[in-house]
Amino acid sequence: MISQTHAMAQQAHKSSNGVMVDVHNLVKRYGQKTVVDNVSFSVRQGEIFGVLGPNGAGKTTLLEMIEGIRKPDAGTAILAGHDIRKEKRAVQNLIGVQLQATTLFSELTLLETLQFFRSLYSQGLEPKQLLHDVALEGKASAHPQDLSGGQRQRLALALALVNDPKILFLDEPTAALDPQSRRMLWDIVLKLRELGKTILLTTHHMDEAQLLCDRIAIMDNGQIIALDTAAGLIHRLGAQATIDCQLDGKATRIDIEELPGVTMVRQANARYMIYTQQMQSTLIALLTYAQEKGIALTDLQVRTPTLEDVFLDLTGRELRPE
Amino acid sequence: MKILMLLRANFLMLLRQRALLLSSLGLAVISILVFGYLFGGNGTIKTVIGVVDQDHSTVSAQITSQLQKSDALKIYTGNAAEEQQALKDGQRDAVILIPAGFGQQLVQGNARLQVFYDQGNAVTAATTQLTIKAIIDDINRQIMHQPGTVTLDQQGVAVKALRSIDFITPGMLGMMLMWANLSVGMQLVNWREMGITRRLAATPLRPLTMISGQIVARLALSLLQGAVLLALAFWIFNVHIYGSIALLALLVILGSLTMLALGFAIASFVKKSEAADSMLLLISFPMMFLGGSYFNVNGAPDFLQPLIHATPLYYINEAFRQIMNYGAGWSAIQTGVLVMAAWIIASMLVVWRAFKWL
Repeated sequence: MISQTHAMAQQAHKSSNGVMVDVHNLVKRYGQKTVVDNVSFSVRQGEIFGVLGPNGAGKTTLLEMIEGIRKPDAGTAILAGHDIRKEKRAVQNLIGVQLQATTLFSELTLLETLQFFRSLYSQGLEPKQLLHDVALEGKASAHPQDLSGGQRQRLALALALVNDPKILFLDEPTAALDPQSRRMLWDIVLKLRELGKTILLTTHHMDEAQLLCDRIAIMDNGQIIALDTAAGLIHRLGAQATIDCQLDGKATRIDIEELPGVTMVRQANARYMIYTQQMQSTLIALLTYAQEKGIALTDLQVRTPTLEDVFLDLTGRELRPE
Repeated sequence: MKILMLLRANFLMLLRQRALLLSSLGLAVISILVFGYLFGGNGTIKTVIGVVDQDHSTVSAQITSQLQKSDALKIYTGNAAEEQQALKDGQRDAVILIPAGFGQQLVQGNARLQVFYDQGNAVTAATTQLTIKAIIDDINRQIMHQPGTVTLDQQGVAVKALRSIDFITPGMLGMMLMWANLSVGMQLVNWREMGITRRLAATPLRPLTMISGQIVARLALSLLQGAVLLALAFWIFNVHIYGSIALLALLVILGSLTMLALGFAIASFVKKSEAADSMLLLISFPMMFLGGSYFNVNGAPDFLQPLIHATPLYYINEAFRQIMNYGAGWSAIQTGVLVMAAWIIASMLVVWRAFKWL
């Protein structure tokens, strides 16, 4: 009894500290395969927290366990002080979820669907206003199957907001959307943070993670392999810039590694990816080296490192297989 | 408020499912029109009956003359051999044989008539059986009113002119309830497959509440469709409900609940929606015919009888016919109601064990 009270006091203390989502050692297995392997992290109030990883990393399963849709094999998730396993109803009232592929009742109009979902909660927002907020006013009498991909995602977002939730879960919010729709959705998400909402999203798009998220957890094969701000993660690479180029056969990896400022070199046949702390010095040295040795230097690209590079560094694989 | 919204959403979804409305109400209406016009629904076809009087008593003569007075019957008289041959030749729908000693046995209270049917034509055999039953019921009723010497009413046998359309309409009502309600499980399988139930699992809505909303919406639809069907049958073909409309409505609800429960039970075993479609058809079509929606299955061969009595629709159709064609009350449909209740309970047990919302 005493320990239980103590734990509850801790939880209350934590949420007053501003932790909205507290995940401890979540595990999910399907047969022999462990899809979510001992995942823990916490999300602060008003934060946009991203889980970045390739398809199949376990992001959706992780999210579903926190949302209460899937039962974990081990571990807990505490949302705004409520344990998802014990106080599910309380959690359901304060969260909003946007699932990966949202299909809805084809027989109801958008407005009717919103009204129906709104009726499931005692408090929330006005459906017509929500449609306006996601720029779908004109489609109030349309049916879900008449919408484009981008419109459907905005509808799903409106549904997630119907109870004016404190915590939002977005699973791959811009998957398979055109650039303009993606930007529209990003704008809405950023506005939601301004309203004080806590947002937990998953994505396999590095640009999305970098743009939206305050902190990012990189997930691969069911595990969180890194957790930090985007800048922090990139900083860990120890590189200020990346130089991509193609050098013909006479160039050797050792030579390149010895150029000034170089921290790491990745090579695949004639393609070189050179990480450097002193971009200018390395570049000058590289060009000089190529000229002196008569090496053909083509496809030169100098860029700042991205989360793709971080992922590559951590796993040896690309975030998005071509 | 919340419940109203739930019911409204579910009911709207049903009304907008054109395929559902077409396959249930549409099919029933088309069948009635076809059978009504094809088999002369306006009551000009008379039942042809041969009467063989082997008793030659006052009573038997009275029975014969009454039958001859009826507008719904065409009566021939003759000896047993002649009339039986006529029946075999398809010249009679039925032959009634009044055996020797009938008059005396009637006074003692245990007289029997022999009736021979032509089973060849399924549709008219149905009407004939109903007609004969009506005749006998009427004779019994008149006899019971007379103390002492038995004399029969000179007005003629009051036979309600039961036509094919009168037989078919209750059957179509039953069939329509089957088509309208059996698919409820399939809808849930679809929702599960599309991820809708998953989305709902993140809300405070309890699965049982959603399912209840569906059930109530379907019951409302069934009553509405039933009213439309019966109104049409009355308006076009003058089909009457001789019994209590309230009792009929109650049976519509019970019949719908039976089909709903069965629908959920079937869906418990289906994982993919493609399988659901074919399974539904596989069950609905045999049930529609074995249940006696289109023809009378009471005269079907013995080996089919167990199957027929295992079909929930059979009891639903029988109950409807009893109420609509005979004005029957609670006692006549008691067994049917109990069987329906048993089906509901059995189905619910299956659902409780096997149904998966997510």
